[in-house]
Amino acid sequence: MRRPDGQAKVRGEFSYAGDLHAEGMLHGVTLRSPHPHARLLRIDTAAARALPGVHAVLTAADVPGDLHFGLTLRDEPVLADGVVRYAGEPVAVVAAIDPRTARRAARAIVVEYEPLPAQTDPTLAADAEPLHAEGNVYRHLAYECGDPRARGVVTVENTYRIGMQDPAFLAPEAGMATPTADGGVRLEVATQWLHSDQRQIAWATGLPPEKVQVVLAGVGGAFGGREDVTLHTHACLLALATGRPVKMEYTREESFLAHRQRHPGTIWLRHSADASGRVVSVEGRVVLDGGAYASTSPVVIANTVTLLQGPYRVDNGRFEGWSVRTNNPSCGAMRGFGVPQAAFAHESQMDALAAALDLDPLEIRLRNALRRGDTATFGQRFTQPTPVREVIEGLRAVPLPPAGGKLPGGVGRASSPGSVRRGVGYAVTMKNLAFSEGHVDESTATVSLRDGHATVHCACAEVGQGFVTVAEQVARTVLGADTVTVTQPDTLIASAGSTSASRQTMASGTAVHRACVAVRDRLLARVARERGLDAGLLSIQDGAVTCDGTPLVDVAAATPGHTVRATEHFAHPPTTALGQGDVYVGFAFSAQRAVVDVDVELGLVSVVQIASCQDVGTVVNPTQLLGQIEGGIVQGMGLAVMEEVVVVDGHITNPEFQDYLIPTIVDAPEVVSVYVTDPQPGMPHGWKGVGEPPLCTAVPAVAAAVRDATGLPLPSVPIRPEHIALGIGTPPTVTRTTPRPPATTGGTALSEEPADRPGTWESEGAAGH
Amino acid sequence: MSSEADESVTFSLTVDGAAHEVTAPWSESLLTVLRERLGVRGPKTGCAHGRCGACAVRVAFEPDRADDDGHVLCSCLLPAATAAGCSVRTIASIGGPDGELSDVQEAFLAEGAVQCGICTAGFVTAATELLDTDPDPTREQIEAALYGNLCRCTGYGRIVAAVETAARTRREATP
Repeated sequence: MRRPDGQAKVRGEFSYAGDLHAEGMLHGVTLRSPHPHARLLRIDTAAARALPGVHAVLTAADVPGDLHFGLTLRDEPVLADGVVRYAGEPVAVVAAIDPRTARRAARAIVVEYEPLPAQTDPTLAADAEPLHAEGNVYRHLAYECGDPRARGVVTVENTYRIGMQDPAFLAPEAGMATPTADGGVRLEVATQWLHSDQRQIAWATGLPPEKVQVVLAGVGGAFGGREDVTLHTHACLLALATGRPVKMEYTREESFLAHRQRHPGTIWLRHSADASGRVVSVEGRVVLDGGAYASTSPVVIANTVTLLQGPYRVDNGRFEGWSVRTNNPSCGAMRGFGVPQAAFAHESQMDALAAALDLDPLEIRLRNALRRGDTATFGQRFTQPTPVREVIEGLRAVPLPPAGGKLPGGVGRASSPGSVRRGVGYAVTMKNLAFSEGHVDESTATVSLRDGHATVHCACAEVGQGFVTVAEQVARTVLGADTVTVTQPDTLIASAGSTSASRQTMASGTAVHRACVAVRDRLLARVARERGLDAGLLSIQDGAVTCDGTPLVDVAAATPGHTVRATEHFAHPPTTALGQGDVYVGFAFSAQRAVVDVDVELGLVSVVQIASCQDVGTVVNPTQLLGQIEGGIVQGMGLAVMEEVVVVDGHITNPEFQDYLIPTIVDAPEVVSVYVTDPQPGMPHGWKGVGEPPLCTAVPAVAAAVRDATGLPLPSVPIRPEHIALGIGTPPTVTRTTPRPPATTGGTALSEEPADRPGTWESEGAAGH
Repeated sequence: MSSEADESVTFSLTVDGAAHEVTAPWSESLLTVLRERLGVRGPKTGCAHGRCGACAVRVAFEPDRADDDGHVLCSCLLPAATAAGCSVRTIASIGGPDGELSDVQEAFLAEGAVQCGICTAGFVTAATELLDTDPDPTREQIEAALYGNLCRCTGYGRIVAAVETAARTRREATP
């Protein structure tokens, strides 16, 4: 089935948030701090207000409700309040008759700053002067399982670094707010989570939530970067202040400054294994730089720390992590949500172990593969399908590509063939699906059917992933509908949660499925009543109501002029806090093999092919599934070898596509995608989330392939040309250890107090404490 | 505060076959003129620096010459006044007036080359010029024609497949 919004999109007629327009609308712009850390001594808006065409200039003093917002901690001011904590923090907003006048007015605002020292080293943040009343540690967590001091015959350890990645959705943030007759406001905006926006706008405007209506405008990509509020509240405040519609649209540079990035991180890992390659113990420590405000930093750190074990059975270990506040750009959700960082580190370690024991990289992974019934280091049992061996075997069956192909160096093919080496690398990962740690993961859908036409209403944000296709497919399949309309999501229906965490097919898809089943049952009951038949014998097949297999009447003609409607809710079984039971709703597993050609002189990498075998539950829509796999893989290879937000002294030095390099069509590898289908229990058709695993796995797979081609340790991503050409990067420390069996077994124990301080990375001894 | 860049000029421009008189600051980009002054919103703003191709349009600088079929360029980079007298074709010129799809549009839809779609008009515009020039492009030629267009959703696999499908369709339709 084709995308229902595809016709308008290929014709250029689909309306995006940036296309919003209303008669008499004003244009809003944002004045941002040039300093990563400074006291605000004075703001004078008089000159800006006096400019012709300027309708409003707002600062923190003009926010009528609660100044603070945020997805977890409410620690971020809508407009800077006495102090700015990152370069790009909004200080004032302006509404004027056109963008040029608004920008001129923003420049006319006088702000006196007293620059303060910028705290930009996350490893020092925990012990540094607090940057905020809420402190500098967003979250610290530490736990042990079994006996972390257990050792095998070989122990490898290293410190891995992961750079900051920008979601880089192609349509910059945009939205338009309009005052409503009841004194409220209506916001059309490109977002991932309408109800979260509604709640946070209500805080700042002081309006009751029902007077803040959020409607989805056309979204040009998201990848986590639209989960937080950016211009949403500003546009609403300006509309309420002026009584006119106010549109805001960021430039690309502003988009880099304003939305949350993927957390850069430093991960120390020590793995010990026996002679057969079985992992005996794992110890790990993580510091993620959360930047100036919390966003989802307290949640992301739990993903990184708990998934350091990878898709492998680990009975003994200790794990610890911090996400901390600095004066760097704020970090939050991006596709993978803390797991790509963990995956890069644990897969690098598996290869180091394999090399130390002279084992095949797939063989060591097979020997450690999790199985259904195993228990995670964080105490959760894997009770659902856990096809780790299956994805590895499925990957192994894909033939290698032939030698040759395009040379490294982009469209210019700058390499000389004599210095090009081919490398092959493998990675296997585990990604948690849906919300975690007690955050309710739910959705609601209303479906109506009249004369064969189905209408689906759900607050699930379509951001490009194709929920509209899934919803239509379900309505056609269950109801036999001829035509389906998926209405534009809004806050008039209950929350569907965020379009993130690979969760919307599972949550909103299931809510739509339940609503369709309820509509079908009501329709069949009515047909049965009218015709004196047993409803139990009726079903819908190929667009017709059938009785015991015999077609009775087309669905479109079954109950003429009558609308059948149902609203249904879905929630996953509840999860719990870490250490108290099931932390996660479920998991997906993925294996990839990357083949690269590397010019070892110039340090240039061409990713030739990535083969993927992913655990997908069931194939709902083959085209969209492949789109998620290919798109995720290319974002992952971007993080592995191309993309990095470079932050120097708190300033982003490359907030443009000319210096922040996202993969082009020349950089993208051929993708070969095969699947393991093992239906997910409790889900219609056994479907499960698929969007994040391909990215998580591509990062370590590409890095492993570049290591194979170069023989270099390459402990940091993105791998830069100089890392290859100059051989930069410390190899893992390999120690032959005396085996020490675990003194205790089982159990996951949390510790409140830090076992270590962050920042002691280089002082570890391989043999352990 | 006024500068030379703010000085307005008036010029004529043909967009998707319709003639317009435009008065705009001379430095204003063709993209801004199309979107904000003429309400032509098919070309999109992705970066405004010529790096993403979402704003791609096909411009014939000498539309009276039979051999000027136009070239694809980033409308965000072109001061609109320098396009005075030009013929600009946007995505609205591709495909029929009543919703019919061109072979390239059809292939993009059929192959799953569209996700969020913000890059799609630019890709379809660039791929159309490619196939108008070369109906049987190699993989390398497809990449060379499209590397100025960024897509963040698809990973490009389905886009390459769509261009190859459209080329095949076009070759089969032309005896």
